[in-house]
This record gives sequence, structure tokens and C-alpha cells, in this order.
Amino acid sequence: MSADPTPPAVLTRGLVKRYGAVTALDGLDLTVPRGECFGLLGPNGAGKTTTIHILCTLANPTEGLACVFGHDVTRERAAVRGRLGLVFQEASLDRELSARENLDIHARLYHLPDRRGRVDEMLALVDLAADAGRLVRHFSGGMKRRLEIARGLLHSPDVLFLDEPTLGLDIRARRAIWDHLRKIRAERELTIILTTHYLEEADALCDEVGIIDRGRIAACGTPEALKSALGGDVVAIALDRPDGAEVALRRVEGVSRVTREENAARVTVAEGARRIAALLDAARPFGIREVTFHRPSLEEVFLRHTGHAFEGEGADAGGGSVAEGAT
Amino acid sequence: MRFLEDLWTIALREFLRYRRDRAYVMGQLLVPILMVGFIGFGLNPVVRIPGGGTNYLGWLSTGFLVLMLSSGAIGGGFSLIQDRQEGFLRAILVAPVSRASIVLGKILSRIVASIALISVLVAIFLSFTPIRLVHPLVSLVALAGLSFAFVSFGILLATRLRALESYRLIAGLVTVPLYLTSGIFFPVKTMPAAMRAVAHANPVTYGVDLFRYGLTGVHELPLALDAAIIVALGAILTVLAVSSFDRATRD
Repeated sequence: MSADPTPPAVLTRGLVKRYGAVTALDGLDLTVPRGECFGLLGPNGAGKTTTIHILCTLANPTEGLACVFGHDVTRERAAVRGRLGLVFQEASLDRELSARENLDIHARLYHLPDRRGRVDEMLALVDLAADAGRLVRHFSGGMKRRLEIARGLLHSPDVLFLDEPTLGLDIRARRAIWDHLRKIRAERELTIILTTHYLEEADALCDEVGIIDRGRIAACGTPEALKSALGGDVVAIALDRPDGAEVALRRVEGVSRVTREENAARVTVAEGARRIAALLDAARPFGIREVTFHRPSLEEVFLRHTGHAFEGEGADAGGGSVAEGAT
Repeated sequence: MRFLEDLWTIALREFLRYRRDRAYVMGQLLVPILMVGFIGFGLNPVVRIPGGGTNYLGWLSTGFLVLMLSSGAIGGGFSLIQDRQEGFLRAILVAPVSRASIVLGKILSRIVASIALISVLVAIFLSFTPIRLVHPLVSLVALAGLSFAFVSFGILLATRLRALESYRLIAGLVTVPLYLTSGIFFPVKTMPAAMRAVAHANPVTYGVDLFRYGLTGVHELPLALDAAIIVALGAILTVLAVSSFDRATRD
């Protein structure tokens, strides 16, 4: 096989990482095409951060291969480091320096030309231009995270790694981060790899999601495909005269299953949102009383593929409002 | 060239931090002035330095400057642990910057800051103690050697310890006996034999002796030996610090 002239942004094969007796990664295979926003989804301790650390040359794999844009992360560290930007799970800013000074130090470390212009551009991108001179110590959690994103993008990396970019933030700050990430993706060619244990976040941002559990990829695909694989959406229609409705509903395109529950019909249908009108047309002669539409969430996908419920939410989710209010 | 630029960037960040820490700088200036002033004038009529050449005020002021230098220098390791705890270190580690330039940047920024502080203190001490600029360059060599040695020692320690509290404790445990047996507070010559043996085995003794010679003309040990030991100590510990940091940040 000849060498691929355009290797994927990230490629891992059989990646294993052991810390003593603990196996953090257990044969992880991952391929992320260029330009994609890929989400590594999993509960705490699943191996998300370990994967990011290996890809960013901060940890060596015990076994297996990991490449970033075709560069081996253990043998071509310098080449890998030059192409990646990283936003850590925990703060990694100098709190005793101002926002501008933090970015300026990093611009120097990456030997960027026109430092001042570039720093201004990044501060504007994350809406921190007005706070450029303030010490990071006085920033709220959301502002710090935005500054970290600006720093991650400062040297125009080809791939941006975000480890739990909105962990500990309240809903308002979280949505602001999402908006910024969408804006950044719209403006430039950039591969994004983010880890999250917020299912909602993976759904909102990612083109493709890899469900990671116990150090392996349990399932991979677009959020839509993963959810559709469960058989599609469920439309429950309560009817005045339910007799015969099942036969009529089964004829609608995309319907895989219809069950009767007292006077309601439960319809499992692929791409339910597009077919609901046809379903209602079919049900109308039977007297529609009430309709509920249920779309399977990534949580159900997670449950299906790992055999256990998603327990990531909750433990770390609190405390965000405190950090945000710290201004 | 790139190496030197990176080294400067790391040092620049340290300077930006010092500039904000006015209380620390004021403390570093006031503590030695008060200590040398009160203890020096208090003990000056009581203590006689054997062999003459200077009085106790001159002896203590030069010794105390080395003490200030080393306590500031030990702070280099302290700030390394802080950087690790605050996560800032990792952000630097993923940048395409060599590990050696990170360590040397930290070391050099400390040395520059320490030498600036000592210079200001020397200027102040010239006004009320008998020290004078006999051979200032000799003192500068001693300062540089001691700085490299102490900052590197701090970094060596910091690459092995996770908590600031244990760093403070261990650094104190190691440095206090070194200070007490290095001729900072009293001459080596008049120590009891056992203590004198410890003083001779203590490399800091040679740095203090060389430094004092440059500002008073008084020394107890061969100057060539002083210089050789302190330069070698600084160089060896620096090399060890760089390689230890390199290993500690690899995985």
C-alpha cells in the first residue's frame, strides 16, 4: 500500500496506556478526518483525557500507534506540537499575568510574526478585547475558558484539542463557548477534537462522535446515525377510535414497528421529524387526540453500546455558577 | 538562536510576575536591612573577628547577602511546583520549546533578579557597614555560582516533589544546616573541630568566602579553591536540574 498523501488529522491503532496496574486505554482505534469536529464521549475515567494527552505528546503510549497529520506522536514530537492547539480540562493560564500578557508569552513561544496583531485578533475573536489588560486572576470561569481557547488557536493550529471545554461552567457560559467554537469553525479550516461527558454538548457541536468506554471505542458515527441505529424516533398517537390504525400506520414509509397501548399507537420510525406529517395523515381518520414525539438521545445510544447507564453527568457538573459569578 | 529566544520568553514571564509582587520585593529589601542593622550593631561591640580586616558588621552584612540570595534562589523550585499545580507548565510543555530552555529560562530569571536585589542591598550597606567594593567582579562570580547552584538545587527538588508544603520543609531541612556551617554568621576558623570539618565539606562555605573577599578583602580559605568549587557546583547542579526536568516531564 502506498503512503496516503493526505493522512487523516488523527489516527490511532491499538492504542494501549497502562499506569501501573491500571489500564487507561485498552486498544483504542480512532480515525478523525481533516476538518471534522469529532467528539470523544464517555464518563469520567473512560480514557478521554489519556487519549488527548497521548495525541498532544504529553504522555507516551504503552503500546500501539498514534499519528497526528501523519506524524508519529512519540517519534516526531516537534512536528506534532507545532500543528496542535490544546485547551486543557483544568486551567493552564498564568493567573498573575493579564490576558494580553498570557497570549503574548505564547505568541513568543511559537515564534509568531506580528505578535501584537495576532494577539488582538484572538482577543477579539473570544470577546475579551475589553478585558485584555486585566489579570486573569480576576476572570470568571467562562472568561478563562475563552482565553484558553484563544491561546489554543493563537498559532493557527491545524487541529484543536479541547478537553472538557465547558466542564464546570453554567449553561449561559457553556452556550457562549459553543457559539465561539461554531464561529471559529465557520471562519477557518480546522479539525476539532473534543472530549466531553455532556451528551448535549456532543450533539450540539460534533459531526461525528466516538463513544469511549473502559479504554475502547464502543461505537462511532454521526450523532444522527448513532441514534437512528436504535431504530429511529418514537411517535405515540392517542386516538379516539384506535381499531385498524396500526395497519394504516404501518404503511407509512420508514415505519419499522407499530404497537398498540390501550387506545394509543406507538410508532417507531426512522427520521421521524420528516415523516410525522405522513403519520398524522394516516392517523387522522381514527380521530387524533394527542401526539407525543420522542427522539432517542445519545444517552440511550450510550446505554445500548456499553451495557451500562451513563453516569458521567452530575458529579462534576456542579459548581459552575460559582466560578462564573467570580468576576 | 531559537533556544535563546525561548529562554528569554520564559524569563520574561517571570519578570512580569515579579514586577507585580511589590510586597515580596519590599520584604526582600527590608528584612536584610533590619536584620543586619540590629544584629550587626548589637553584636559588633561584643564579637571580634580573628585576624581583623573587618568587624562583625562587615562580616554579617556580607554573609546575610548570601542568605538573601539563596532564599530567593530556592524560590525557583517553588515557582516550578506552582506552575505545575496551576497547570501553566503543561501549556508550555505542549509548545514546541525545548525542555532545557524552560529550565534555563527559569534559572536565569532568578539569577538576574537575585543579582539586581543584591546590588541594591550592597549600595545600601555601603552607607552604614564597613563593606566596600574591593573586588566587585570576584563577588559577582561568587554570586553567579551560588545562584546557579541554589536555583538548580530547588528545581531538582521540585521535579521530585508534588506539594508546596513538602518542598518548603525539605528545602529548609537542607539549607538551614548549610547556612549555619558556611561562615555566614561566624568565621569557620574559630569553630570547634567537628563543626569546622562540616564547614569544609559544605560547598556553600567556599561561595561565602569568595563573596566576602570581594566586598571586604577578608577570606579564610584559598581563593582559587573557593572559585573552583563554587563554579563547579553551579555547573554540575545546573546540568542535573536540566536532565532531571527533562525526565520528569516526559511522561
